[in-house]
Amino acid sequence: MAVRERIGNMFRRAPRWTFIVTALALALIFPLLEQYGIIETLWLRLGTRTLVYVLLAVGLNLVLGETGLLHLGYVAFFAVGAYTTAILSSPRLGYHWNFWVIIALAMFLSMLFGFLIGMPTLRLRGDYLAIVTLAFGEITRMTFNNWEPVTNGPGGIPGIYPPNLFGWVVDKPGEFFYLLLAAVIVVVWLLNNLKASRIGRAWNALREDEIASHHSGVRPMQAKLLAVVLSSGVAGLAGAIFAYYQQFINPTYFLFMQSTIVVCMVVLGGMGSIPGAIMGAVVLDTTPELIRQTFTKWLPNAVGQDFLPGFQTALQQDFDRYRMLIFGIAIVLMVIFRPEGLLPNKLWRRQSHTEDPREQANTRQHLFDVEEGTQDLEA
Amino acid sequence: MTFEHVLGLTVSGLTVGMIYALIALGYTMVYGVLQLINFAHGEVFTVGGYIAATTLIYSGVDASTPLMAKIGYFALALIISIVLTSFLGWLIERIAYRPLRKQSRITALLSAIGMSIVLQNLLVIIFGPEPVIMPTAIVPTGFVEVMGVRIRYLQIIIIGTSLLLMGILAWIVKGTRMGKAMRATSQDMEAAEMMGIETNLTISFTFIVGSALASIGGFLVAMYYGSLQYDTGFLYGLKAFTAAVLGGIGNIYGAVVGSLILGLAENWGVGLSLGLLAWLFVFGLVIGLYIQVVRAPGQRVGHIADEFRTPEYERLVRRQYQFTPVVAVKTLLSERTDALVHLSAKHAMRLMAGNIMLAAFAIVFFMNSEVQFASKWQHVISFGVLMAILMFRPSGILGDNIQEKV
Repeated sequence: MAVRERIGNMFRRAPRWTFIVTALALALIFPLLEQYGIIETLWLRLGTRTLVYVLLAVGLNLVLGETGLLHLGYVAFFAVGAYTTAILSSPRLGYHWNFWVIIALAMFLSMLFGFLIGMPTLRLRGDYLAIVTLAFGEITRMTFNNWEPVTNGPGGIPGIYPPNLFGWVVDKPGEFFYLLLAAVIVVVWLLNNLKASRIGRAWNALREDEIASHHSGVRPMQAKLLAVVLSSGVAGLAGAIFAYYQQFINPTYFLFMQSTIVVCMVVLGGMGSIPGAIMGAVVLDTTPELIRQTFTKWLPNAVGQDFLPGFQTALQQDFDRYRMLIFGIAIVLMVIFRPEGLLPNKLWRRQSHTEDPREQANTRQHLFDVEEGTQDLEA
Repeated sequence: MTFEHVLGLTVSGLTVGMIYALIALGYTMVYGVLQLINFAHGEVFTVGGYIAATTLIYSGVDASTPLMAKIGYFALALIISIVLTSFLGWLIERIAYRPLRKQSRITALLSAIGMSIVLQNLLVIIFGPEPVIMPTAIVPTGFVEVMGVRIRYLQIIIIGTSLLLMGILAWIVKGTRMGKAMRATSQDMEAAEMMGIETNLTISFTFIVGSALASIGGFLVAMYYGSLQYDTGFLYGLKAFTAAVLGGIGNIYGAVVGSLILGLAENWGVGLSLGLLAWLFVFGLVIGLYIQVVRAPGQRVGHIADEFRTPEYERLVRRQYQFTPVVAVKTLLSERTDALVHLSAKHAMRLMAGNIMLAAFAIVFFMNSEVQFASKWQHVISFGVLMAILMFRPSGILGDNIQEKV
C-alpha cells in the first residue's frame, strides 16, 4: 500500500510538462522503431488508428465531457469528412483536389452539418438529444449507403490518392503517423486553450447546472452550438485524414458501434479531461490487440503451441465481438464504480475525493467565478 | 396503384406496427417509471426471439408433427422465452440501473448503452453471427382473401395476440394493485415510497412485464420474417422507441397509436408513389392550418374573462394569436418589446416555417408523382420521423408537455 501511495504521489507531484514531453518523445520515436525493424508494421498501423481515435475522443470530449451533452451520432461527422475526401480525391468522379483545400472543405462541411443538426436539437434534454443524434448518425450512414451515383453505395470508394503536402507525398503508415500526430497536437493545443478561456468555463457551467449558468450570464444555446460545431470540425478533420490513410472507405466504417466506441473512450478516460480522453483512446484501442497477441502468439511461443487452443481460435474468429464485449463491460463498470474516469479533471477529482460538503459546494462555486469586467454578458 | 395495393400495404403496416407496439410498451413503461431510456430493450427483444427459435429448433418440430403437438411446442417455446427474458430484464435493472438511480440521467443512459453492447456481443459469441432460422413447420402458411387482398393467418395471429396482450396490460395497469403502485411510482417515487409502496419491487415488476412483452414481440418477428439476426434488435428497438416518442413517451396508449402510425408510414412510404404521398402532406397542412388559424385562437378567446368580453376585444385576441407571418412580423416591429410578444412572434415564425416545409414537400412530391422510394430508404423514413418529432414536438401526439426536471 505504501509503495503504491508513494508511486502515486510521485506521479501527482511531477510537473505537467514532464508527462507531455515524455508522451511526445515516445510518439516521435514510435515510427522509427518500425523503420529499424524493432516492432512489426502491425503495431505501427495500430498506432496510426489509435491516433485517429485520439482525435475523435478529444473532439467528442468537448461535447460529452466539457459541455455534458451525450452525442451518439459523432461518427456521422467523421463520415462526412471521410466521404468529402474520398469523392474529391479519387478516380470515382475523376477529381483530384489539393490536400489543404480538401481538409478545409471537410472540416467546413462537417461543421456545417453540426450546425444544422445542432440548431433545432440542442433545445432538447440530455437523453432525447442522445437519441436524435443517434438517428442523425444512422441517417447519414444510410444516405451514404444508398446514394449510389456518388458514393458507390455499399461497395465504397477505392483508390483514394495519397495527400501531397507541398511536395511531400504521404503514403507510408509512418508518415501518416506523423501527420496525425501533428493534427492531434494542434487540436489538443487549441482545445486546451479554449477550455481555459471564458467559453470553456461557460461549457463546464452548463454541464453542472444549465439553469444556474443561464442566470449567471451564459447563453446556453450559443455555447452548446459552438461546442457541437467545433467538435464536428475535429471529427471532419479526423475523417479526412482517415480516408487518405485507408485509401478506401465504405459505409461499414461508420456504424453506430464506432460512435459508442468513442463514447467509451471518453467515459473511460474521464469526462471533461483532455489527457483522460487521449489515455482512454490509447488504452481502449490497444488493449484488445495486446490481449489477442498475448494469447495467440506470445504465450503460445513461450509456453508451447497447445496453450488453450480453443480460446485461441475463439479469439481469432470473434475478436471484434470480444473487443466490444470488453468495451461494454468497461463502460458499465466505469459509470457505476468510478464515474470520474481514469484521469479525472481537476474539478471531478476535488469533488469526488472530498467528503466535506462545504468543500464540494466550493468547487461548484468555483465554476461561476466571473472575471472582472466581463459582467455585461447579455449585450 | 390500385385500391388492393394500398389495402395490402395497410395490413402489413398494421402488422409491423403491432409488433413495434409490443416493444414500445416496454420503453414507455420504463420511461414512465424511471425517466430512463432503456437502451438494452432492443437486445432483450432479440434474446426473446432467439430463445423461442432455439427451443423450437431443439424440439425437432417438422411438417409431420401433428397439429396439437405443434401448438404444444409453440406454447412451450413461448413460456420458456417469456420466463428467461423476464429474468434477463430483471437482471439488467438490478445490475446496470439500480446502482445509478440517484445519479444523473446521462450516467444511467451510458450504462444502458454499455449493457446493450454487452448483450448484443454475448449473443454473437453464444449463437454465432449467422441468423437463427425459425422452423418453417411451425409457421402457419394459409391466408384469407378479403376484398382482393391476401391476409396471411400469421398476420391475423400477430394482430390478435398483440391486441390481447395490450388488453391484459391495460387491465394490469388500471385494474390491479400492482398497476396502481406503478402509476403512483411514475408520478412521484418518493411520495409513493412514503405511502408504503415498495418502489424497488414495482420497478422490477415493470421491467419484467416490459421484457415479457418484448420477448413475445421477438418470437412474432422471428415467425413473420422466418429468421432473426443478432443486430435486428437494435433497429427494432430504435423504431419502437420512435413510436413511443411519437405517441408521447410515458403514455401507454400513445405507444400503441405511435407504433401503428409508424408501421403505416413505413409501409406506405416505400410502397406508394410520391403523388399519393403528397396527399398526406396536404392533409397534414390542412389540419395544421385549422389548428393554427381557427382552433388555437378560439381557445384564447375562450379564456377571456367575462367582464372584458366585447366583440372588439375578441377580434383583437383572435388576431393576436392567429399564427400568420404578417402578424409575426408586425409583432416583431411593434413598439411593445416585452418578452411575451417576442416569444409569440418567434412561435408564429416557427409554425409558418413548418407550414412552408410541408407545402414544399407536397409540391415537390406532386411534381414527381410517378417516382417511388426504393425499399432501401424504409429505415431512413422512420429515423426521419424520429428526428422530426423530437425537433418539433418532443412531447409526442398524446403526451403531456414535457417539463424540465432539474
